[in-house]
Amino acid sequence: MGRKSQKNDSLPGSLDMLILRTLSRGDLHGYGIVQYLQRSSGNELLVEEGSLYPALQRLELNGWIGGAWGVTPNNRRARIYKITAAGRKQLAVETRKYAKLTLAIARVMGTE
Amino acid sequence: MWLRRLRYWIDSGRRSEALREEMELHLAEEAAELEADGMTAERARVEARRRFGNVGQKQEESREVWISRFLSELGQDLRYGCRTMAANKAFSALAVLSLALGIGANTAIFSLMESILLRSLPVAEPESLVVLNWHSRPPQEANKQWVHVVHGLQGLFWPGDKGALVSGIFPYRAFETLRKENPVFSTVFGYFNGHNRTLAVRGEAMSASTEYVSGEYFRGLGVPPAAGRLIQSADDRAGASPVAVISFATSQNRFGGAANAIGQPVLVDNVPFTVIGVAPPEFSGVDPAAAPEVYLPLHTYLLAGGARAARMFGDENFYWLEMMGRLRPGVRMAQAQAVLAPRFHQWVAATAKSEGERAKLPELILNPGAAGLGSLRRQYTKPLYVLLAMVGLILAVACANIANLLLARAAARRREMAVRLSLGAGRLRVVRQLLTESVLLASLGGALGVAFAIWGMRTLTFLLSNGQRNVPLHAELNWSVLGVTAALSVVCGLLFGLAPAIQATRPDVLPALKNGRGGGPRRRAQHVLVAGQIAMSFLILVAAGLFVRTLDKLHSVHLGYARENILLFTVNARQAGHRDPEIAAFYEHLRKRLESIPGVSGATFSHSSLISAGLAGPAIGGEMKAGAVTIDDAGVLAAGPRFLTTMRIPILAGREIDERDQRGSTPVAVISEEMARTYFGNGSPVGRSITLVDEKRDLEIVGVSGNVRYGGLKDEEESSMTMLVPASQISPDRMTYALHTAGDPLAYVHSVHAIVREADSRIPVTNVVTQAAEIDRTISREILFARLCAGFAVLALLMACVGLYGTMSYHVARQTGEIGIRMALGARRGAVVWMVLRRVLGLAGAGLAISVPAALTASRLVKAFLFQTQPNDPGTLVAAGVVLMSAAILAGYAPARRASRIDPLAALRQE
Repeated sequence: MGRKSQKNDSLPGSLDMLILRTLSRGDLHGYGIVQYLQRSSGNELLVEEGSLYPALQRLELNGWIGGAWGVTPNNRRARIYKITAAGRKQLAVETRKYAKLTLAIARVMGTE
Repeated sequence: MWLRRLRYWIDSGRRSEALREEMELHLAEEAAELEADGMTAERARVEARRRFGNVGQKQEESREVWISRFLSELGQDLRYGCRTMAANKAFSALAVLSLALGIGANTAIFSLMESILLRSLPVAEPESLVVLNWHSRPPQEANKQWVHVVHGLQGLFWPGDKGALVSGIFPYRAFETLRKENPVFSTVFGYFNGHNRTLAVRGEAMSASTEYVSGEYFRGLGVPPAAGRLIQSADDRAGASPVAVISFATSQNRFGGAANAIGQPVLVDNVPFTVIGVAPPEFSGVDPAAAPEVYLPLHTYLLAGGARAARMFGDENFYWLEMMGRLRPGVRMAQAQAVLAPRFHQWVAATAKSEGERAKLPELILNPGAAGLGSLRRQYTKPLYVLLAMVGLILAVACANIANLLLARAAARRREMAVRLSLGAGRLRVVRQLLTESVLLASLGGALGVAFAIWGMRTLTFLLSNGQRNVPLHAELNWSVLGVTAALSVVCGLLFGLAPAIQATRPDVLPALKNGRGGGPRRRAQHVLVAGQIAMSFLILVAAGLFVRTLDKLHSVHLGYARENILLFTVNARQAGHRDPEIAAFYEHLRKRLESIPGVSGATFSHSSLISAGLAGPAIGGEMKAGAVTIDDAGVLAAGPRFLTTMRIPILAGREIDERDQRGSTPVAVISEEMARTYFGNGSPVGRSITLVDEKRDLEIVGVSGNVRYGGLKDEEESSMTMLVPASQISPDRMTYALHTAGDPLAYVHSVHAIVREADSRIPVTNVVTQAAEIDRTISREILFARLCAGFAVLALLMACVGLYGTMSYHVARQTGEIGIRMALGARRGAVVWMVLRRVLGLAGAGLAISVPAALTASRLVKAFLFQTQPNDPGTLVAAGVVLMSAAILAGYAPARRASRIDPLAALRQE
């Protein structure tokens, strides 16, 4: 345990938030989430794709997302994830925390 | 969260599969996209994998989210533990077996405790039920005169603190007063034990236990009927048509089903009743000790009890009715008591007839009623605690034993541990693994213990209830019992595993790696454990000794009458409708018929068996005088013809009671030798008389019998002064017949039933028992204690010896070199044997030194269970010590002998 992937993000825990945010716009399967993250960040965020799965398991165990077998746009069988009500609440909490943190960092860096 | 994790864990196989599929899909989609962007299929696949990262590791990480590391390591440890156990079969079997005995015994005793002390009544919301009791200062004045508002009673009272009187019976008027406009109870209901009555169904009579209940009883308890309807307020009125509710078991046995019983006519003591309903199967009344078969409305007691019953309902000083109440929602027991106690006080104060009575009025107290009445609890609580203490000690001895064996084994596994530790395993991790092993052992012991407990529970229930028909004990394995067993197993595993585990992983790795031999602390730990085992075994031995001695004393009480070859049974002709004077003729006719059974050398009857005569009460009440001297403490038994001959009691002078003594003939009496000597001096009392002061008539003494024990064996005050009077001149209700038989008395039961049925089929034969069993029944607790504790003592001693033997063998093996040198230097074999035995004796002595003071203190706690035996009985203590020392020497001798056989050369070479 405790092995964090090296390149996924500079802010620990933000992957969870990003996944929740992604799913709040619509239900997606694992690969779909990665694609969305890359596309929406203008290819700036390079997620180690494998790290997505432990994160998904963790979120599901916490009851923030739910997974069910479904079909992808390419007509392949895949687990489609859906954000739950508790997940939306958690997203709000994390978004607030994130906003506070970035603001604090910006202050330190003098870029505010 | 934990629950979900557990579910994920249980489901982990399927989830892993799903995860793998998901990841594969991910890789395939990514590769497909890359290929669409112009890569070759091969390169696209490699690139997709590169972007994904380490698939295996990610899979592991994802799985770890739900199978936490703890659990996966637990699985590892368990597998390893199983392998270790399988590798040491003898050790594991011994450990599991001794634990199974220990845990099983504890489970069995606890299940009994649970059923008696903890279980709630099977009624709606038992927590809101309260039992109404009262207590008052001792009723007897200094001159033993009874001065109390209780002028008469029918029911039980029991001693409270400092001789106080505690009871749960009230006059009917008190019930009415408390029932009226009650602000704290939603219902108050009354009941009393009607004891055994004759229940005739379709002309077939049998004895059945009855309970008289007020109209609110079933509604107050919240019990639904299994069939028909239950007794209601309208049924409980003088003049209401008599109805009865029967227990579920009775409906099955007597009517072949609950539905068949409804509307059926039955006779209860020859009074017709109609069965209106059947109680649910799990319900057996409010007193777990009683288990009524028939419930009758309170006021129908007027039909059976006659004028006396009518007086009982009106008499404010006659106590007989028990009560329970159901608290209104939100009312606490203390509040209810605060409201009701003054109300009862006011009522009872008005019933006091003198200053003396006013000085010690009963005070109302409320007790929790969830578990029903406390009669079973009062009877069994203390014996059960004593037994629980015993089995607790047994389990402690077993745990110490296993800890000891584990310590010895830890020495053997020291290298293994050292290797693991030096390879970088965390110490905590290794301790955890060792603990997992011991808990695994304990769990197996616990599982086997449950099987042992089932057997133990049946045996205990049988022994404790000593063959009564209505067994009031319903011990069973339920979740709370199994929960306690499981907890016990885990605690035991941790207890006996902890010390060896810590020892085995001591950080001094290097010396262990070098030669695999440990140092002093382990030996010290082993010594402490062995001494502790010996100390605990001694405690159990002493207890066993005291109980065996008690039983021995009880068995040697002089009875003065035949114990063997006597069959006893009871019939009650009055309940079947026989009346004076015909009833006496009926009993005598039946006696003659019984005497004519081939093999029966004598038949007689009395108002009670001799052994339970103390409980049945004397046949004649009131003051008796021999001349001017008042006769004290003479037991009076109403007996039929040939009583002395049948019971093999010697006739020392005159004659025994015979057919000549009829109703209307001269009233006579036969007295015992001691009574004759006490009241009539050395001259023959035959022809002299005893005056019944209250009845203003004389009894002529016609004979003198040998001394006879009247009443129970344990009643220390009982003397051998007995007086027999002819039953025909007293005419009691029921008779206990006694037949002197050739061979096994129980072989005649069939003939007895046939003859009684022929005489009157309405009369059930009850309480069929041999005289020996009837006597043993009165000392069943002592028999049980003696047998159980003797068994426990053997078990504990055995385990302590195994511990001692193991420890000594281990030491001898370790000291092979030292002993070899000693022998090479000329030590003789005797000296070597003595060297080992000295240590054995030292350990045993240390154990005894701890234990003797403990035994002296603890044995005082069982004083109440002893008979003519002092708790510090020196004989018992010495015997226990001798047994223990002998066992210790026996256990130590084999290793000592082995030590003396060591070949010095071989030993030195090995070194």
